[in-house]
Amino acid sequence: MAGISIRDITKRFGKLAAVNQVNLEIEKGEFFTLLGPSGCGKTTLLRCVAGFLNPEKGQIYFGDHRVDGIPTHKRGVGMVFQNYAVFPHLSVRDNVSYGLKARKIGASEQKDRTRNALSMVRLEGLEDRLPNQLSGGQLQRVAIARALVIEPKVLLMDEPLSNLDAKLRIEMRGEIRDLQQKMGITTIYVTHDQEEALSISDRIAVMEQGVVRQVAQPWVIYTKPGDVFVARFIGSTNILQAEVVESTANAVVVRSGSVTIGLPSDNEFRLKRGDSLQVALRPESLFFSDSNKTLSKDYWPLNGKIARYEYLGNLAKYEITLSEDLKILVTDYNINPTQIRKTGEAVTLYYPLAQALIFQEDLLK
Amino acid sequence: MKHTFWTLTGILIFIAVIFFLLIPVSRVLLGSFQIEEKGAWTLQNYKTFAIYRTYWISLSNSINVSMVSSFLTIIFAVPLAFFVSRFNIPGKSYIIALSTIPLMLPSFIAAFVWVRLLGRSGIFTGFIQSLGIPFESIYGLGGVTAIFTMQFYPYVFLMTLSAFNTVDESIEEAGRSLGTGPVKTFIKVSMPLVLPSILSGALLVFMTATENFGVPMIIGEQKPFLAVQAYMEFTSEIGDHPGMSYALSVVLILVTMTSLMAQRYYLRKRNFIQSARGRPLIKELKGWSRRIATGYCFGLVLIPLIPFFVVLLISFMEMRGPVIHPNFSLQNYIYAFSNSARPIFNSYFLASMATLASIFIGVPTGYIITRRGAAIGACLDLAIMLPFTIAGTVLGIALIVMFNTGFMVIAGTWMILALSYTIRKMPFIARSSSSILYQLDPSLEEASISLGVTPMKTFFKITIRLMTAGIIAGAILTWVTTISELSSTIVLQTPGWSTMTVEMFQGIISDDMGMATSFASILIVSALIPLLIVMTRFKDEKSVLL
Repeated sequence: MAGISIRDITKRFGKLAAVNQVNLEIEKGEFFTLLGPSGCGKTTLLRCVAGFLNPEKGQIYFGDHRVDGIPTHKRGVGMVFQNYAVFPHLSVRDNVSYGLKARKIGASEQKDRTRNALSMVRLEGLEDRLPNQLSGGQLQRVAIARALVIEPKVLLMDEPLSNLDAKLRIEMRGEIRDLQQKMGITTIYVTHDQEEALSISDRIAVMEQGVVRQVAQPWVIYTKPGDVFVARFIGSTNILQAEVVESTANAVVVRSGSVTIGLPSDNEFRLKRGDSLQVALRPESLFFSDSNKTLSKDYWPLNGKIARYEYLGNLAKYEITLSEDLKILVTDYNINPTQIRKTGEAVTLYYPLAQALIFQEDLLK
Repeated sequence: MKHTFWTLTGILIFIAVIFFLLIPVSRVLLGSFQIEEKGAWTLQNYKTFAIYRTYWISLSNSINVSMVSSFLTIIFAVPLAFFVSRFNIPGKSYIIALSTIPLMLPSFIAAFVWVRLLGRSGIFTGFIQSLGIPFESIYGLGGVTAIFTMQFYPYVFLMTLSAFNTVDESIEEAGRSLGTGPVKTFIKVSMPLVLPSILSGALLVFMTATENFGVPMIIGEQKPFLAVQAYMEFTSEIGDHPGMSYALSVVLILVTMTSLMAQRYYLRKRNFIQSARGRPLIKELKGWSRRIATGYCFGLVLIPLIPFFVVLLISFMEMRGPVIHPNFSLQNYIYAFSNSARPIFNSYFLASMATLASIFIGVPTGYIITRRGAAIGACLDLAIMLPFTIAGTVLGIALIVMFNTGFMVIAGTWMILALSYTIRKMPFIARSSSSILYQLDPSLEEASISLGVTPMKTFFKITIRLMTAGIIAGAILTWVTTISELSSTIVLQTPGWSTMTVEMFQGIISDDMGMATSFASILIVSALIPLLIVMTRFKDEKSVLL
C-alpha cells in the first residue's frame, strides 16, 4: 500500500489537452475522488494512473516507486470499471481468482483469499454462478472483490456506480466506503455525481477542461468553493455579477443591477469602489422573514416577489424576482404546510453576510 | 506501454498484403501498358480495347447486367425484408435460413440447371412456348441477369432486414404523431433510414455479379463479359505477353473500384446508427393479404433453390452424355468416385488450408482494426477492402504473373490455390472478427490486464475465448464458400489439384452430365451440412453471414 503522487501530468488527444499539467498528492489510505462534468479529463487521468494511457509529460509515483512507463499488468493496480467488466465466460469464483492465478499463487492460498474476498463483498454461496445469473449490484461486488483480492497497491474506480439504480447506488457507496476504510487501501474514485463524491471521499479534486480547479475536503469544497466553476458545479448556487458601491472596514456593499447586496467586510479582497466581482449565494443560505422584523447586522435583507415555486415535500424551491433583470433561487427547508407562499407574493429574504462568497474572475474568458 | 506485439503483427500483415496482393495486381497494371515482356511502355492495349467492338460490348454487358441485377434484387428483396420484418408471416426463421443458401452454393450450378429446364431444348421451354409465350430460351443477357438476381438477392434481403428491424419503433411513432399517415411516414422516415443498408446490399450484388465468371460462361453464349474475356485472353495467349488480358483486368478493377468508391462516398454522411429500444410492431395481416404476403416470401426464397434441388434429383438418374433417362441409378456417383475421388479431397483440403490461414491472419487483423485504431488500423481496413474489388479471374492472373517466376515459384502447386482462396476469404474473417469485437467491451480486456495478465496473454485468455463462437461460425461459412469458388480456381487450376468446381465446370462444358451432377450434389451436401450446423448451433452469430 502506498500513496500516489501525480506530478505535472499532461495527456493530449490530438491538439486537445484532456489532462493539463495536473499535480496531485494522494495520501496513503486516502479515499480520493476526481469529480467533474463529463469530458473534464477525470477518466483520462485515472487511465493514466492505471497505465492504459501514456501521458506526454509528467511522472506518477506509487509511494517512492515511479510507475509511468511501467505497463499496466506490472503496476499492481486494482481497477473497477463503470460497466463491471466481469468476464462473462467465467464463474464468480474464477473471476475473483483470475488475478491470483496470473500471480501464480498456490492453490490453497488462492482458495482462501478468494473465499475471504467473496465474503467481504457478501457474495458467499454464489461462487459457481455465471455472470449472466447475477444482478447489477452483485456484478459490481464481483468486480470489487476481483480488484481487491490481488491486494493492489492502489484501487482505481471509474464511475463504478453509474449503472446501478438510484437506491442501490446509495447503498453501494456506503459499502465501498466501509470496505476501503477496513482495508485502508489508497483509492482514486472517479465520478460526475457531486453528492456521491461529497458522501464518500476524504478529499475531492474538482476538474474542468483537463485542469484541477480545487482540491479539498468535501465540506470545504461545498462551503468555500475555490472559484465560480466549483461553486456552480457543486450544489446549486446563485451567481450575481456585481459592482462595488462602498468598501470600508465595517461594511462592503455592492450593486447588481438595481439590487443592493451586502458582503462580509472581513474578506480577503481589497475592494475599491467600482470594482466588479461575482457574489455566490447558496439557495439554502437565504431564508424568509418578516420585513418589519430587523435582524442583527450580520444578516442582509433582500426584497422581492415570488416568481415560481416548487413544493417537494421536505423542502420547497422558490424563484424570487429581486428586480426586473435579477432572479435568485431559494431553498426553504423549514416549510410550514399551512403557510405555502404563492406566486406573486411580496417577500423579504435574509442571508448571513458570512455566507456570501466573493469571486473576482473574468467570466467572459 | 509499448504495444510491440500488435505493432509487429500489424506490420507483418501489411507486408503480406503488399507482397501477395498489391505487387501482383500492380504487375498486372504495369503489364497492361506493354505489348511484350519487358517491352516499351505503350497504350497499345487500351487502344485495341477502344477499337474492337467486342471489348466495348463486354464492358457494357458486364456493367449493364450487374446494374440491372442490383436493381432487380432491390425490387424483389426490399418488400421481402419489409414483410418479414413487419408482418405476421409464418415461418420467418425458415425464410431467413433458406435465403442464405444461394450465397453458399456456386451460381454456375444454377445456370447449368436453368439451361436444362429453360434452354433451347429445355424440359419446360416447349411447354412455355406451347402456351404462346414468346420465350426462346434462357440463354443471353436476360438469363444471366435473372440468375444473378436469384442468386445474389440475399445480400440485399439480409442487410435490409436487419436495418428494418433496428428502426426504432418510437421514430416511426414520432413521425405518425406529427401528423403523417403510415405510408407517408414509411417513405419519409423509415425508408431514408434503411436506404444505406439497401444500397450496401445492392453494391455487394453489383460487385459479385461483375466478377462472376461461371454464369456468363455457361449461359452468356456469344455475349462477351469482362471477367470471361480476361480469362479467355489469358489462356489463349499464354507464353506470350498477355497484355490484352491485363488491360481487361484493369478495366474490371476500375469498374468494381468505382462502384465501391461511389458507395463509400454516399455512405460517408449517412451512418444512421440505430439503437432500437423497442422492436418495430408486427402488423397482423389477416385472410388473403396474409396468404399473398406469405406466398410472395416463400416463393421468392424457394424459386432460387429449385436448381439445387433438381441437381440432387437428377444426379440419381441414368445418363448418357447430355441425355437423361428417368431411372434411379447410382451410376454417376460410382463413376465419379471410381474415376477419382481426388477432386473432393482437393476441395476439402484447399478450403481447410485457406480457412485456417484466413483465421490465422484475419482474426488479428480484425483485432487491430477494431482495437488498435489510429493509423495502422485504418491502413489495414483499407487494405482488406481491396480483395473485394478484385475479380477472381483477375486475382488468378495476377498471382500467376507474380509466382510463375522469381524467388517464390508456387504457380502450378496447390499452394497458389490456397493462397488465392486465403486472399479472397481473409477479409470476411477480418470483417466478422471486427464486428464481434465491436460488441465486446474493451474494459474486459483492460480488467484482465489490470489484474496482472500481459496484453498478449489477455488476447488469448479473454478476447479469443469470447470470440470463439463467432470465429467458428465465420470459419465454417468461409469453408463453405471456398469449396464453391470457381472464378480464380479456373485460372489457377493445376494438374493433380482439380477441385469439385473445376470438374463440374468441365463436365458442364463437355456435356458430361453425370460428372457435373454427381460433383454438384456432393458439393451441395458438403455445403448444406456445415450451413445447417451454423444455423442450429450458432444462432446468435448471425453477424458473420455477411
